Amino acid sequence: MSAGHHDVSYLAPKETLFKTVWSWVYTIDHKKIGVMYLCAVLAMFFLGGVFALLLRMELWEPTKTTVEGVTGTFLPTVNTADGQQITVNNMYNRMFSLHGTIMVFLFIIPSIPAALGNIFLPIMLGAKDVAFPRLNLMSWYTYVFGGVFALYSLIAGGVETGWTFYTPYSTTTNWGNVTSMVLAAFILGFSSIFTGMNFIVTVHKLRVPGMGWFDMPLFVWAVYATAIIQVLATPVLGITLLMVVFERLFHIGIFDPALGGDPVLFQHFFWFYSHPAVYIMILPGFGIISEILAVHCRKRLFGYRAIAFSSIAIAAISFLVWGHHMFTSETAVANVVFSALTFLVAIPTAIKVFNWVATMYKSSISWTTPMLYAAAFLFCFTIGGLTGPPLATLATDIHLHDTYFVVAHFHYVMMGGTVLAFVGGLHHWWPKFTGRMYNENWARLGCILVFIGFNVTFFTQFFMGTLGMPRRYATYVDEFTTWHQVSTVGSWILGIGFLIHLMVFLQSLVAGRKAGANPWGGLTFEWEAASPPIEHNFSHEPVMTHGPYDYDTALPPHCDPKDFPLPDPALVRRVHGAH
Amino acid sequence: MITQFSMLASEIGPQQKFWFRHNASTFGDTIDPIYFYIFWVSAFFFVLLMALMVYFGIVYRRKPGVAPQPSASHNTFLELSWSVIPTILMAVMFYWGFKGYIGTRIAPADAETIYVTGQKWFWTLEYPGGVTTKDNERIADVDVPVFAVPTDRPVNFIMTSTDVIHSFYMPAFRTKRDVFPNRYTNLWVKALDQPTHRVVGDTTKGFTVEQIDEKNKGYFLFCAEYCGDQHSQMGGRIIVVDGPSYQNWIQKQSDTSNIDLVTLGKLLWSAKGCNACHSIDGNKNTGPTWKGIWGETHEFQDGSKIKVDLNYIRESILEPAAHVRTGFSNQMVSYAGRVNEREIRSIATFIMSLNDAHTAEAQAEAEAELAEQKALKEAPAAPGTPGTPGTPGTPADGATAPKQ
Amino acid sequence: MSTVPAPTLDMDLPPHARHVPQAHWRNAKDEAEAAKLGMWLFLATEILLFSGFFCAYAVFRMMYPGNWHAASSYYLDWRIGFANTIVLLLSSFTVVLAIRGAQTNRNWMIVVNLAITNLCAIFFLVVKLGWEYWPKIQKGELPGANFDYGNAQGSHDHIFLSVYWISTATHGFHVLVGIFVITWAMIKAMNKHYGPKHYTSLENVGLYWHIVDVIWIFLFPLLYLV
Ligand code: HEA
Ligand code: HEA
Ligand code: CUA
Ligand SMILES: [Cu+2]
Repeated sequence: MSAGHHDVSYLAPKETLFKTVWSWVYTIDHKKIGVMYLCAVLAMFFLGGVFALLLRMELWEPTKTTVEGVTGTFLPTVNTADGQQITVNNMYNRMFSLHGTIMVFLFIIPSIPAALGNIFLPIMLGAKDVAFPRLNLMSWYTYVFGGVFALYSLIAGGVETGWTFYTPYSTTTNWGNVTSMVLAAFILGFSSIFTGMNFIVTVHKLRVPGMGWFDMPLFVWAVYATAIIQVLATPVLGITLLMVVFERLFHIGIFDPALGGDPVLFQHFFWFYSHPAVYIMILPGFGIISEILAVHCRKRLFGYRAIAFSSIAIAAISFLVWGHHMFTSETAVANVVFSALTFLVAIPTAIKVFNWVATMYKSSISWTTPMLYAAAFLFCFTIGGLTGPPLATLATDIHLHDTYFVVAHFHYVMMGGTVLAFVGGLHHWWPKFTGRMYNENWARLGCILVFIGFNVTFFTQFFMGTLGMPRRYATYVDEFTTWHQVSTVGSWILGIGFLIHLMVFLQSLVAGRKAGANPWGGLTFEWEAASPPIEHNFSHEPVMTHGPYDYDTALPPHCDPKDFPLPDPALVRRVHGAH
Repeated sequence: MITQFSMLASEIGPQQKFWFRHNASTFGDTIDPIYFYIFWVSAFFFVLLMALMVYFGIVYRRKPGVAPQPSASHNTFLELSWSVIPTILMAVMFYWGFKGYIGTRIAPADAETIYVTGQKWFWTLEYPGGVTTKDNERIADVDVPVFAVPTDRPVNFIMTSTDVIHSFYMPAFRTKRDVFPNRYTNLWVKALDQPTHRVVGDTTKGFTVEQIDEKNKGYFLFCAEYCGDQHSQMGGRIIVVDGPSYQNWIQKQSDTSNIDLVTLGKLLWSAKGCNACHSIDGNKNTGPTWKGIWGETHEFQDGSKIKVDLNYIRESILEPAAHVRTGFSNQMVSYAGRVNEREIRSIATFIMSLNDAHTAEAQAEAEAELAEQKALKEAPAAPGTPGTPGTPGTPADGATAPKQ
Repeated sequence: MSTVPAPTLDMDLPPHARHVPQAHWRNAKDEAEAAKLGMWLFLATEILLFSGFFCAYAVFRMMYPGNWHAASSYYLDWRIGFANTIVLLLSSFTVVLAIRGAQTNRNWMIVVNLAITNLCAIFFLVVKLGWEYWPKIQKGELPGANFDYGNAQGSHDHIFLSVYWISTATHGFHVLVGIFVITWAMIKAMNKHYGPKHYTSLENVGLYWHIVDVIWIFLFPLLYLV
């Protein structure tokens, strides 16, 4: 890191190809690590998405038999080397298990924090890097290492346990390669812990002088709350998965009822992590939505403190509700307690949604792709969130548990929430970290297709769920055929939408217009840095002259006042009081 | 697609509503309204929020050169109301859901007990007196067992599993409960007084099951906890019958003495779940097919060669792991105690009939045996109870025949 | 070696006095505080990791109370556990003394105390392996399905042994890691990397070692003395 490079873009190639490659492979620059993470999680998203398309194809028809007794639908029947037959069902079971595990452990958990968070969290704090840059690099290689295990498992037979690895099925099945997939999830957990620790310390210790806790952008708050959950919940998953591995290798019997163990204990352990994990998935998405809304509506966020505190409240309460995944297996008393606590966690989320919509009031909305995504997020996530209460309500969950209603619920929050926020954030920050603009109209088209495709795919599943269609079904009774076919068609629209986004991004990288330092007129620190930022982010440490969302009083950096006119100061004083 | 839509409408007409399916138990009346309460609260907030979003999106879209109007960035009254009102609405959800749920958990004292066993990948229901179901129906390409539930009293299912976790799910009854190995869980229902079937006849002539409403074939039973390969085929058909029909149903299921061995074998093939792994059309599945194997000699994993005969079939049923065919891994657990000697014999005879070279022989044996049964029954001194009539030459307590 | 000679040139200073923070830190104080905060977070993850074992322990003890008691007193010798407890307590104390050595700028005190700590750790592992694990393996007192039912005290001994094995093995693994990091700190100390103003990594090693001890303090009574 010689002084001469300091003012060069972090993406600038080095003198030789080898040095350039080395500067990535052995980088401790948070932006490069973030970009590598970004490429990896996108690849994983597409892989998981291909599995999703395949499994939706398989569900086109209710049973194995197609026209005139020809057996085998979309997925083939295969004979393995040792003469075992992988049936159509088994293929399907592999599809959804791989889809679920890849999407959860390799895509969505690292997606926003490790990719966009890594790139932008330090910049938004005005810092040169995260607190522990080498730990950051280690987190990335741990992720790669875990990913290798997962891909090995995929090639060496896959898994067919579902992403939840429920015992005793997962410890007794001899299909596929469960052990290495469980190990992969175990290793990926460490990667997540490292990232979380790093971010917590960064937020505590690397804020620019003068930046108080309530001067932080809300994305930082959200990632901070996420990091707390990552650090506190993931170790429990680690130990649980380790016990599953031991169970498979040495039959230790802790989770195996045949040896006097307790399979429900596994479920408790698993959900003690995996419920907080769903907030690991969504909180960073909340953060992105707050940023997008503020910038593209040119508006101070309504209820900044409420949004910030609700992130922390969600993180705290999320540890107390795991039992709501087990209403059909636990005792009545435990269920009642968990049901009540689950409703508590919905309240801070509700507060956020209201605040976001209120932010749009009297704002100046520019309908760019990020803003379209924010609106799509508000639509889909609200549906996803609102279908949480019927699952948290005891009487109704008994009917809805393990049906497509749950499948629809979690896709509406994960896909309709996190993924939409992620893709929106990607467009929002794309000019910043690549230095190039993308094609706005094509991106808008992609967004609209994704939005339509998504709702067609998953809204149908709410009906199926209430009608009683169980999940993880390779075959089903005829009466659901139409619903399933509509859903499958939706997944194609979704696929085309993402394909368009992919093209837009590639086009932008190759031939995109150069981006200015602040194309949207944002006020947070990342818009003060160059596009793309230089190696140490800023040539001079930035100074706090305004809050992150003071759009009524502050002119965005690098911007022409004509493009971003400020309201009459007298009016502003009347509304906000003297500043 | 259009034909399918109309099919959907005609076939399901009385079965499905838009959201929930036709309700068959007393739980529906408490649970469905809770759902719709949540639904309408949610719809209200959703529409409100989306309407505002779209309205703001249009009215406040950016106009070049025009500054936004400043507006307050918080408002205590608004913020309090959108915290407190949802909280109150959700408290109602919780309380109502809790009350509805507690009602579904405690079984009434007069409930009829039915024992349920889940096993990869089929259900067995044991009615009072140790009677299990033999009827089956073809749904979605698999033969699933048919179970009856009476309308005149509640039923308490006491459930366990022999291998992994399953979940007993009856959507029309709005209830489900996980089924664990090495542990009992229970679930109760009270069917509404709307029988779907009636069972008529008597012990000598035999019983027949009649569907009452031509559109209502009965209700689905699903396995709702992922349990492996054929999780999606681990279903059943639940029919609802009135009190007298229920007694007839039990009689019908208990009495197999007037069914010949080949037919009984075929019934058991699906009723006991053999069909989950063994095909009878020659297709390879989790286990070896039954077609054409009788009398053949096979190679086994331990290197031995064995001819398929009554002894071998018997061993495979009672001690499946003893000899495993090459090319397969043993996924089966012992059926000792769950089939009696006549049933074993019937399965063997059925397998015999599946080899074209032995079909005639099997038929002859089955007829002869049926005649024997008849004779036994007509002789007043015969001790046999229905279901375990003690074939000559085998011990009467065949079900627990000693190993080896 | 008890006093540092008065420095004339920068290069004459011992390494600890020449420390400059990494480029992204605003000052050395922030860097040190960050390292400590990071360590505390790490300790939190450790506690949660072991809390998984403690929960499993509690559940099975509730499920099989009588068997649990019998298995504990039959399979585990409290004297071995007690000896190990004493050794670990002692080592915790020596780690504190090592840090004291850094604060008071007595390098020999750091090195000697770390060496004693490491000896204690090795003693602990040798006792664990030689007097507990090895005889147990020979007698077939193994977890779960590998358990040899020859001398069973009840029907669920193997579950007790599973909990015993995985929790003590995981703890033992932590002791092993401890030996490595203590050695690392010792090497740094020998190269005079620690001084009154700069001993954060030594402190962190100490914190790690304390948590390893504390976990043992919980494991010992739960497993050996029930
Ligand atoms: C991003 C991930 C994410 C998020 C954010 C959520 C959010 C919520 N989830 Fe979800 N959930 C999952 C991911 C997520 N979930 C996954 C992956 C599963 C299944 C795992 C598996 O089995 O494979 C699952 C399953 C699941 C279950 C278990 C279902 C079952 O298996 O039977 C339950 C039950 O309580 C539940 C509840 C909730 C609730 C109450 C919320 C709340 O946080 C939602 C709060 C939001 C709102 C309520 C909307 C906004 C509010 C308003 C507009 C105000 C007005 C509202 C009211 C008056 C109600 N979820
Ligand atoms: C982040 C989480 C995430 C995401 C984003 C998705 C995305 C999708 N999921 Fe996934 N899903 C899960 C997490 C997720 N899922 C989990 C955890 C489960 C439970 C698993 C279990 O039960 O164990 C599950 C289960 C699940 C099921 C239920 C299976 C069953 O229970 O039997 C279904 C069925 O429809 C489904 C469908 C889809 C579809 C169509 C998408 C789509 O949104 C995918 C969109 C992506 C693409 C389409 C790929 C990108 C585009 C291309 C590759 C271009 C090429 C395209 C064309 C040529 C058209 N998922
Ligand atoms: Cu049995 Cu699923
Ligand atoms: Cu949850």
